Formats: sequence, structure tokens, C-alpha cells
Amino acid sequence: MTQNLPIPLSQLQPGDQGEVIQVQAQGQVRQRLLEMGFIRGARLRVEKLAPLGDPMELVIKGYHLSLRREESSCILVQPVA
Amino acid sequence: MTLTIALAGNPNCGKTTLFNALTGARHHVGNWPGVTVERRSGTFEHGGTTMEVVDLPGTYSLSARSEDEKVAASFLASPEVDLVLNVLDASNLERNLYLSTQLLELGKPVAFVLNMVDDAENRGVRIDVPALELLLGGPVIPTVGNREQGITELKTLLASMALGESNRCRRITVDYGHDIEGELAKLHTEICRDEKLEATMPPRWLALQLLENNAEAKRLVAESHASEAIRHQLSKSFAFLEPHLGADGATLVAERRYGFAHGLVKEVATAPDEKTTPTAKLDAILTHRWLGIPIFVGILALVYSLSFILGKIPQDWIADGFKALSTFVGSRLPAGELTSLLVDGVIPGVSAVIVFVPVIMILMGCIAFLEDTGYMARAAFIMDRLMHVMGLHGKSFIPLIMGSGCNVPAIQAARTIESPQDRLITMLVTPLVSCSARLQVYIVIAGTFFTPFKAALAIIAMHFLGLGLAVLMGRLLRSALFSGPSSPFVMELPPYRLPMLKATLIHMWEKGSIFLTRAGTTIFAGATLVWFLSRYPGIANRQWTLEYQQQRQAVAALNLPAAESEDRLKALQLAHESRIVNTSLAAKLGQKVEPVLRPILDPDHKRAEAWKDVIALTAGFVAKEIVVSTMAVIHQASEEPKEGERLSPLQVALRDGSGLTPLTALAFMVFTLIYTPCLGTIAMIRREAGSWGWAAFTVGYGLALGWGLAWVTVAVGRAFGFA
Repeated sequence: MTQNLPIPLSQLQPGDQGEVIQVQAQGQVRQRLLEMGFIRGARLRVEKLAPLGDPMELVIKGYHLSLRREESSCILVQPVA
Repeated sequence: MTLTIALAGNPNCGKTTLFNALTGARHHVGNWPGVTVERRSGTFEHGGTTMEVVDLPGTYSLSARSEDEKVAASFLASPEVDLVLNVLDASNLERNLYLSTQLLELGKPVAFVLNMVDDAENRGVRIDVPALELLLGGPVIPTVGNREQGITELKTLLASMALGESNRCRRITVDYGHDIEGELAKLHTEICRDEKLEATMPPRWLALQLLENNAEAKRLVAESHASEAIRHQLSKSFAFLEPHLGADGATLVAERRYGFAHGLVKEVATAPDEKTTPTAKLDAILTHRWLGIPIFVGILALVYSLSFILGKIPQDWIADGFKALSTFVGSRLPAGELTSLLVDGVIPGVSAVIVFVPVIMILMGCIAFLEDTGYMARAAFIMDRLMHVMGLHGKSFIPLIMGSGCNVPAIQAARTIESPQDRLITMLVTPLVSCSARLQVYIVIAGTFFTPFKAALAIIAMHFLGLGLAVLMGRLLRSALFSGPSSPFVMELPPYRLPMLKATLIHMWEKGSIFLTRAGTTIFAGATLVWFLSRYPGIANRQWTLEYQQQRQAVAALNLPAAESEDRLKALQLAHESRIVNTSLAAKLGQKVEPVLRPILDPDHKRAEAWKDVIALTAGFVAKEIVVSTMAVIHQASEEPKEGERLSPLQVALRDGSGLTPLTALAFMVFTLIYTPCLGTIAMIRREAGSWGWAAFTVGYGLALGWGLAWVTVAVGRAFGFA
């Protein structure tokens, strides 16, 4: 079942939900992502992609956030059906 | 004694609205020392107690990495702060409480404002305030900042806390769990070895930051004589915690804080309704895959028209008013140095400053409105991909586009960009965007040397060249100045809100007055300097003044019809001014500098009067608007075309007498585009970047780049056989 393997957040499609497994970014980006709520087990949902395909909009901890592919590819999530 | 209250909270939590509601008009905007972050402070009086409120920059955390966070963290830790007022967005409580968990560690009394409770209730979120007070260990006042609800209660609470009457603050901190608390206690002991370090901030707060691998905390420790012991303990703590709890210190601390926030929210608030929020409905259109960009372009066009088309009307009034004043003064006073100082120096100088104010106020008002509604974040979301390719941020797009109207407010508009690096780069490249003042120069030059069709092409090409260069320089500066990774793009898309007119008006007023007081003096001083350079020593030549007066009297004695007499007087004035300017210090400078410009403006070395260009370009340093009028004086030819003629006398003089060829004219246009920002722009860069260094850098690279590209224009043109 590929469904259960953790994947980078950047691979989720609009409408998909996931649970944060790990933030793989380092330094400033890592700290910022942790503060914004990307902690282990946090639920998120991808809302949409920007008209030019990047960045993405997602909902985490009840608020809307946008992330570039650069950052979202460093976040490992477990897709949730 | 006044009590100092620090207003802390996340971005978009309504902090500034609350600040305005508390302090009314009694506030002052400045900068935090050493940085370009705005510092807003004000006072209010309640029940005989005066309190000072300092509005901190909105931050998600106190981890002290960004400029904003450093300012907030260091001010909060300073003894100046007596009380922390933490503003919480009731509709986004969990994320807002993350910052609270840090504020509670500071060891100062913390009171809470639960702002925008109406928004939360609309979303079906009801919050049990007494329970929240119990769990946070401090008083909580629910407010609706933009309707001033709860403000009186808040003032009463703050006044009673100031008098020490309220004992409602208990010290509550997050419980980080047995293992982490154990390590915190050990670090605490080591930190307390150094009394000075212990006094700078609560040891537990420092220990937490060390566990988070915070660079600022590590820097503090490195300065301590106990640094060896602390570092040793820290590595022991990491060695214990990381394998034991399965994550690094930063993750563990963040998890516990969010655990606290999550538990608290579950306890005191009901879950929001599942129904679609108004924001979601709006976003379905405003950031729609196909509609998003056209709507954005439409909004941009609207802002542009408001600022530069509507704003042009009062701008013209101001310019005409000052011109009339200058003519009036000139006609009443005898010709001479003092009159010239007034008529050609002071009055145009003041005019050059004030003329920017309407545009600045309108554009800043529009931007504040977009920002306060929440649309600015969407604009950045929509444009980020394009701007990221250029090494910039999505929010850089609006300043760059507005730059084509006028660079001065465009640079001020770069304030909306949070990251100081992105902001600086945007400010440094904005002057390359061709503004409407430069357009006037292109029109005269291109109209002289090209057919109307080719002239239009050349003018459009200048605008694209400017934008292209801005992009190129953006990338170049990014890699040259900031070698590290670019700042992360982690941007909240806040709920849409209708801003209050009052807040927008306050913002417009602030921006206008800041410009007048901070940038105005620079522009005025520069304008006076250029006046001096272009008038001396001729203006002090009494013989010339006498001759001019005699010629005027001679014309007046002829008793000609009014129109003809006026024409003749104008011609005399032009001749007199031309004589002064063409022998001025600026002219001497022109003759000295001319060899440097020869390869681009006079490649065949056939132009005897190429140095005259330098005078016009020197004037352009003040404002590009006066390049054309200066040329008219230098070449002693009016810039206004006679009836029924396509070219003005100035254009005829340029075509027949200046020695410029179509190719060197094009090079002149390229050079005018790039060579230097006007004084207003320079003053604004100095103010916004916080140093003369960056302003000087902009001028320097402009001159070098302008010369280089003009040279390329000439070289390529000649290679293709143009002259």
C-alpha cells in the first residue's frame, strides 16, 4: 500500500489531507515551520495551488498558509484518506 | 510615574487597530534603534494614571531570527517594560497561543486581549473567558477592536494593574514534561553561575532558547564567563533528550508548546462550524486558477489609476501653484542672486518635495487598504512564482509596477515585504523601473530624432529595458549580497476583513508626514545645491544683471503689442539664464566630465557642445522633470512648440545644433533611464534602508550600469551601420 508511506507535502494534491511526520528542513526554515504548527501529528489539508502552480495554499491548525515548493518538499507527511 | 505596556501579538491579530483605539491620535511613529522596523508608541490616560503603550512588530514567535522578532524579543526582555499585553485573535486561538507560551516565560505580568470575538462567534467559536483566565493565569478582556468594544474595560484593567491593585496574574508556564523540565533545571543552575547573564533574562527562558538551538541565545552565552559549563550541560542535555524522545530540541519544545495551546483551546472553546467561511468563498474567486491573475491585474490597474492619474490632479495644482508663486516673486523682485535663490532654488525645492505628497498618500492608502483587507497576501500568493524566478518575493511585484508611476512611493511600498533582504533588493532595483518623469525626457529626445512610430517603439523599449534590468539586477544582487539561502516563504493568508476608514486615514497621514519630515530635508538640500552649481558664478555678475535689466527696459520702451512684448521679454530671460547656466560651475563640471561620457554621447568626437548634456543630467539628479526645462535654458530655445509645428524650438535646436545623432540620442535615453535615481528616490532609499551607504550604492551602480549600457547601445548600433 503506497497510501501509507510518508511522502513530501509537495506531492499532495489540492483536496488531499495529511499528517505531519517530520520537518526535514534545517535552520531558519525549520524553526519557522515548527512555530507555524508543523509538528508531529498535525493535520493539514491542501487547499489549492497558486494560478502559476506554485506556491500552495494549505490549512493547518485552523488557519490558511502558503508555502513554496521549496519548503513543502522538506515536510514529510502521511496521507490521510 | 508612567507604566510602559508592550503590545505583543501575531501579525493580523488586530494589534494596530487596538493600539489606535487605546491611544487615539496621541502617538508617535519612529524607528527602532539600528533597524528599519517601525516603532509606534503612544500614551493614554485613565482614572488619573498615564500609561505608555508600545506597539511591537507582529510576530509569530520570539525566537529572534528576523529583524522584527529581534526587536520584539529584546524590548520585551528589557526592564523598560512593566506589563505585557498579548493580543490574541479569537478566531485563530491555537496558533496565537504559541507566542503566549513564550511571553509567559518572560517573568513579567501578562494580560490578554481576546480580539475579534465577533469573527470567532460568526464561525461558531464560543470562548469561555473565565476558564481561559484560569488556564493562562492572567486577566483576559474580550474586545472587538474595530468597533472599540471592550476598550474601556481594557483601560480600566490596565489602570488597576498599574496601581498594583490587581493580583490576577499568576505565573503559569508550559509544562514541558519530566525529561525536558529536568534538563531545563540543570541548564538553569549552570546559567545562574553568571549573575550578569542571569539578570539579562529569566534563566529558564534562556535555557529554553538554548534547547531550541537559538543563535541569539548562544551568542549571549558565548559572552559569559560560564559559557564553558553551560555549553557542556547543553550538549549533555541534547545527548539525553534526542534519542530518548526521538526528536531534536527545537521540535520537542515546539511540540510541547502546541500541546499546551491545543489542550487549552479544547478546554475553553467550541469547535468552529464546518460551513464555508466568507473568506473561503471570496478566495474561490480571488485566487482562482484562471480568474486570479486577471482580477489581480484589474486591482493593480485601479490602484495605479487612483495614485498616478487621480493623484496627478492635486500634483499639478501644487506644481502650477509653486510655478505661479515663483513667477510672481520673480516679477516683483529685482533680478539678482537673492531673487534667483528664491525663484530658482527655494521655491522649486519646496515644490519638488510637496509635489510627491498626494501620490504618496494615495498609494500608501491603497496599499494599507489592500494589506488590511488581507488581499496583499493573496497578491503575493498569485505573483510569487514569477517573482521568485527573479530572486524576489511575491510582495515585490506591487512596488515594481508602481515604480513606473513614481519611484518614490514605490520604495515606500516595499515596506510590506517582511524579509529585510527581499525588501532591500526590491528597493535597490525599483529605480531601474522607468517612471513617468523620465517619460518626458524620452518624448522630447525620441520625438526629435525619430519618426513618430520609431519614437513610440523606442519609448516602449525603454520601459521594458528598465523592467528587464530590475529583474537582472535583482538576481545579481541576491547572489552577490546575500549568499545564504533566501528567506523562507511561509506566509499566512489571513481571513478577509473590512478595514476601518480611520485606520487607513491614519496610515496615509503618517506616511505623508514621515516623507515630509525625513525625506523632505534631503530633497530640499539637494535642490539648493544643484541650484548653486548651475547659477554660480554668473548669477553674481552685476554687469550681466545690469545689461539684462537695460535690455528689458529697452523692450518695454518700444511700446509693442502685449503678446510680442511678452515674447521678447521671454527670449531675453532665456538668453540671460542661458548665459549664466552655460558658464556655471555645472558647465565647468560638464567640460571636465565630458571626456568620460564621450564614448557614449560623442563617439566620433564631433560635438563641440557635448558638455551641455552634463548640465541637463546634473539637473536630472534633482528630478527628471526638470531635465527638459534645463535643456531649454542651455540651448536657449523654448520647450513649447509654436502653433502648427510638430517640433518645439528646443527640439529643432537639439536636432540642428546639439550634434546628437539618432544613435547617440538613443544612448542618451538609455543613460537617462539608468544613470541615477532622483533626489526624492535617493532620500527615500536612505530612509527606508536606514543608511546613506545603500543610497550611495544605488547612485553608484546606476552610473556604472547606465554608462555601460549606453556604450553597448552605441557599439551595437555602429556595428549594424547606424550612426
